[in-house]
Amino acid sequence: MSHADPDQLAGLALDPTDGPEDVRDHAATCPECAALLAAFTGVRRRAGADALVAPPARVRAQVLAEVRAGDPAEPAAPPVPDELARRRGVPLWLAAVAAALALLAGVGLGRWGTGGEGAPEAVVPPADTGTVVAAATLTALDSDADRGEASAVQSEDTFTIRVSATELGDAPGVREVWLIHVDGVRMVSIGLLAAGDDGEFAVPMELIDEGYRIVDISVEPDDGDPTHSGVSVARGELA
Amino acid sequence: MTIIPFPARSTRRYGDPVVTQAMSFEDEQDDAVRALAARLVAGDETALEEIYDRWSALVHTYALRALRDPHDAEDVTQQVFVAAWRSRHTLTPSPAALPAWLLGIARHKVADARAARARDADRVAAVVSLPGAHDGSDQSVDDDVAERLVVRQAVDELPDPRRTIMFLAFWEERSHAEIAETVGLPLGTVKSHVRRGLIKLHQQLEGVRHESR
Ligand SMILES: [Zn+2]
Repeated sequence: MSHADPDQLAGLALDPTDGPEDVRDHAATCPECAALLAAFTGVRRRAGADALVAPPARVRAQVLAEVRAGDPAEPAAPPVPDELARRRGVPLWLAAVAAALALLAGVGLGRWGTGGEGAPEAVVPPADTGTVVAAATLTALDSDADRGEASAVQSEDTFTIRVSATELGDAPGVREVWLIHVDGVRMVSIGLLAAGDDGEFAVPMELIDEGYRIVDISVEPDDGDPTHSGVSVARGELA
Repeated sequence: MTIIPFPARSTRRYGDPVVTQAMSFEDEQDDAVRALAARLVAGDETALEEIYDRWSALVHTYALRALRDPHDAEDVTQQVFVAAWRSRHTLTPSPAALPAWLLGIARHKVADARAARARDADRVAAVVSLPGAHDGSDQSVDDDVAERLVVRQAVDELPDPRRTIMFLAFWEERSHAEIAETVGLPLGTVKSHVRRGLIKLHQQLEGVRHESR
């Protein structure tokens, strides 16, 4: 037979002798139905708790007073999950190193590129290499698993977010890249990872300066909804 | 530029299907909770009041059972809702997320309260010497308490006559025939209410468990 109706399994959880024999037989041999039956039995066992006890009215008043007073010691709300806050220091040195390397490359270009004679090829950077002004290590949200990196690159008159992600999973949907403000409230979409896990997105530099520094990659179902799905597969803060 | 709410830290595991299973259980109540969560995330203080009114008893009872001290339980309850307000951007507006999220915060605040106690040698001694008090550090005991309280609240929130029928069946352990007589409904109707009620409780508990992962 096909799987048992949940209603019948609920009946069995309440009374193991209840219900048609074929349902009982099926629930005894089918792992899925047995699991659901066990889950129902577990819920039944959890019934019986004493009534919930409301806190005294003063607690409500204190909560609202504290919320309305705000907390000057803390910046509004924790803008990003703890894990991110903890990691915040990490990308700093990376950005510094990257910026220093870019600077060296730039100096090299200036000295050798215009001099012409005997310029070692290796020192001339590829034409599209700008200055990395910030970088972020991308990680999964539910663990520290590496999900690649992102960088903010400034070249002469453009500003680009480069994303080089890995292991974004194979959940159906497109991968969309967002910049989330450090205030944790505002965000903008900067584009889709159209081919593979790498992408470059031109953005106005003011965005970064204003605080849109958290790079987030979401999985977006094909539902026509332009807002963030809430399912993020990678995140990191540019620093 | 479009300004839309912060995507809360999703508790869905990486790689899971994008379409949430919760959709299949959707009902009006779920929509109302989702809307409430969205208002909180948007910074609406009246949403916090509604959330407090609906779940403060759950949080307070959990803290009371875990800490066995009315004063500490009050403190923890206050801390949980203030922390909920301050970290509202981390909430995913899904139906089960609100109670799961509040209980998650409560679990941390209870741990903080226990750590504070441990620093206070006198009180530790007092707690340990209490007959029957568990040592207060067993997470699985706490989790079981939390689940029982979630089930209790879910039953409390059922519409009548299902609510009454569930209480008679599960709390008073009355037979279906007795219940049918008490509430004046056919036996088949009573059976159906109990089964459907059990399925609903299961769904709510699963939702909270899923969001707690
Ligand atoms: Zn089956």
